[in-house]
Amino acid sequence: MIFSLIKLVLTFPFIFVLPGFFLLLAVFGWKNEKISFFEKAVLVVPMSLISVDLLVLALNRLHIFLNGMVLIGVIIAFSLLCYIVFQLRFRKKTKKKQEEEISRNYFEFSYWQAIFILISIFLAVFMRTTYLSDTIIPSSTDLGHHMFWVQKIVDTGSLPDYGMPDFIIGEHIVFAVVNLVSGASIMSAMPVLVLLFLNIVGIFTLSILAGRIFQSPKTAAMIFFVSGVLYAINAPQGKYVSGGVVGNIIGNMLIPVALYFLYRAFSEKDSSFAGLFLFSAAGLLYTHHLSAFILLYSIAAVVLAYLALNFERIFKIIGDWLKIFLKPFPIAIFLLLAFYFLFIFTPSYFNPAAVAQATGEPTKITRIGLNLGQLEANAGSARLILGALGFALLFLSFKRKDYKFSFAFAWALVLMIMSWKPGWLYVNIPSDRIGNYLYLPFSLLAAFSLVELMRLFRKSSTIFLSTAFLFVLLFFVITDGLSDSADAFKVRPQFQEVMETFHSAKYLAEKLDTSQDILLKDHVNISGDSWYKLFFMKDYNYPLSRGMLFRYIDSTKPRETCTRDMISNPESPEGQACFSETGVNYIALNVQLEGNSFEKYPDFSKIYSSNYIAVFKRN
Amino acid sequence: MRNPASRERREEKAELWKIMSSKIIIIATIILLIVSFSVLFVVEAKNHNYDYKKAWSVVYFENPRDDSLNFAIENHEGKKMAYDYNIFIDGKKVSGNKVEIEKGAEQRIVPVLDLDTSNGVSVSIEVSADDLKYKIYKNLGK
Repeated sequence: MIFSLIKLVLTFPFIFVLPGFFLLLAVFGWKNEKISFFEKAVLVVPMSLISVDLLVLALNRLHIFLNGMVLIGVIIAFSLLCYIVFQLRFRKKTKKKQEEEISRNYFEFSYWQAIFILISIFLAVFMRTTYLSDTIIPSSTDLGHHMFWVQKIVDTGSLPDYGMPDFIIGEHIVFAVVNLVSGASIMSAMPVLVLLFLNIVGIFTLSILAGRIFQSPKTAAMIFFVSGVLYAINAPQGKYVSGGVVGNIIGNMLIPVALYFLYRAFSEKDSSFAGLFLFSAAGLLYTHHLSAFILLYSIAAVVLAYLALNFERIFKIIGDWLKIFLKPFPIAIFLLLAFYFLFIFTPSYFNPAAVAQATGEPTKITRIGLNLGQLEANAGSARLILGALGFALLFLSFKRKDYKFSFAFAWALVLMIMSWKPGWLYVNIPSDRIGNYLYLPFSLLAAFSLVELMRLFRKSSTIFLSTAFLFVLLFFVITDGLSDSADAFKVRPQFQEVMETFHSAKYLAEKLDTSQDILLKDHVNISGDSWYKLFFMKDYNYPLSRGMLFRYIDSTKPRETCTRDMISNPESPEGQACFSETGVNYIALNVQLEGNSFEKYPDFSKIYSSNYIAVFKRN
Repeated sequence: MRNPASRERREEKAELWKIMSSKIIIIATIILLIVSFSVLFVVEAKNHNYDYKKAWSVVYFENPRDDSLNFAIENHEGKKMAYDYNIFIDGKKVSGNKVEIEKGAEQRIVPVLDLDTSNGVSVSIEVSADDLKYKIYKNLGK
């Protein structure tokens, strides 16, 4: 166990640091005042993740079998290539040239700021770890679905053809690479540890974006409290990590990175950042369609807001942007990415039908927008209120013609409209899924407002009143923001039910002939059932599953109901017809619920019985 | 009045801290993550076990796909257990015995029965221990 842990811990820097470090070295050199140590240390992780994704896509296109040695070799080769580029580019650069590129460093924290950050990070990691320790056995539904595809990559040594737009390759490559390099099992803590790591890095990426936009180490420091400590367990934080909501976790890390590079490209007229913006945006496109969609709308809002607020200089601004992007580095990155999209790997959702499905007038009740209560639940009351305050303070503190105003203002505004009134922007996506992204701009604004309020209170002439107000505000923020973390300390049942589910799956995988036998399991009442498919590795849809009952009701299109009827009414004419149609001859049920009632049906034999699972065979 | 030399030293220290702070934050985060990963990894590895802090048993047919009545009992109750098992044909007890199974072990049982399945017969096996009760059955020839 210890050796496996050491191997896994050593794999993390190899995959998540090494390629990104050398990539940034090739772009910025060893010591470049444009980018601080803190920013580089944060950015190596997303840059590594995207580099590894692109390397694996290329290997797959070249039909090279993916295994541990190949992946280690290609990561080292990529790092060496970047090092050679670094040598060629920076060997002859004079000190004078570098001094010209000095930009302000907003990440040199004072003693108390650093202490504040360290306490926040400690709490953020501690609360997540405590919560996850009760859910660490792999059992969540989404994670099970994702890990099936990861196992497929590991088993076949190539990337899968999903045959459906629900999954995107970037959600799975990283887990397969960690498995192949470290040997850590997919049915272990590994997937959750990867997600926890990316979730924590996501706090850092938001911090460097805040530091740059608000040009203040204080705001960068405050982000660790607002997005790391407050609502540490609620979605999209600890619950998304344990739930295996892979795309959102990676998206929440990459969206701030893409905006960070875009902000710096625009505000500093720097083509290196423009190239890295394209690189990170492409990484997001290969990872999560919804996050990419959110980024697209966010960028459009920022660009349009900036142009509208600087209308008199519109042609000059567009000309400046063209000058930034029409430089060798961004053009080279653009061409490389275009080549990837056209010839290496086209994301499965890149088709007109998928775009048409996501845009237009909302077609379902779940897509018409969230009410205030739902918005509050998504962003968190304290964060929403502080964010709204920050939104108002923007108008007092910032010049409206600056980039920082457009970025902070338009990003929050567009996500609010997309969540609240999606029809206004022709967004046709479940509103609660969009609402999960609200926390990003609202964390930024909440951190800004806390810093500004403290500054204003310190200046205030009535110190007593302002201090009292500040304490009341902080009391509300902390009590509300930490209320969800109480979940982390509740005693929950240990992992017996999940292990019994795994035992039944192992039994069935060993005993059944999957070329003839069709298994149906009950997702409604069995914990960890989505991991069943990893024991069979036959097909994504094997075994069949009775889904949540509300899924069988859809006013827009007819849904199959056999998987429901064969468990709910096996002796009804509908149920009998379904058995003939599907060929189902084994059913796995929760023994205490449907399991007991199934014993009265003479058509079935009960072949397996534990405290939790019963398996019936149709005679 | 403040000593200018000590003020200068304090300022130097503050400057040095500013340079070092980001490195300290990154290193502290790495250490915290390693501790967190180690805890979670060990918790998962320990609990990913049928027996660790668990109490359950399971009974199943060895060959669910045919008419064989060989079955197995697994003991994951966390202690050595004595299981009674009784075999019934169409509700009538025909055989029974008691087996002791060590913690975490399994016992395979091969019943010897003379069965005529031409008219259909139901064979059930009831296993009990303390307050536990499990039943599996096959409807043969039906």
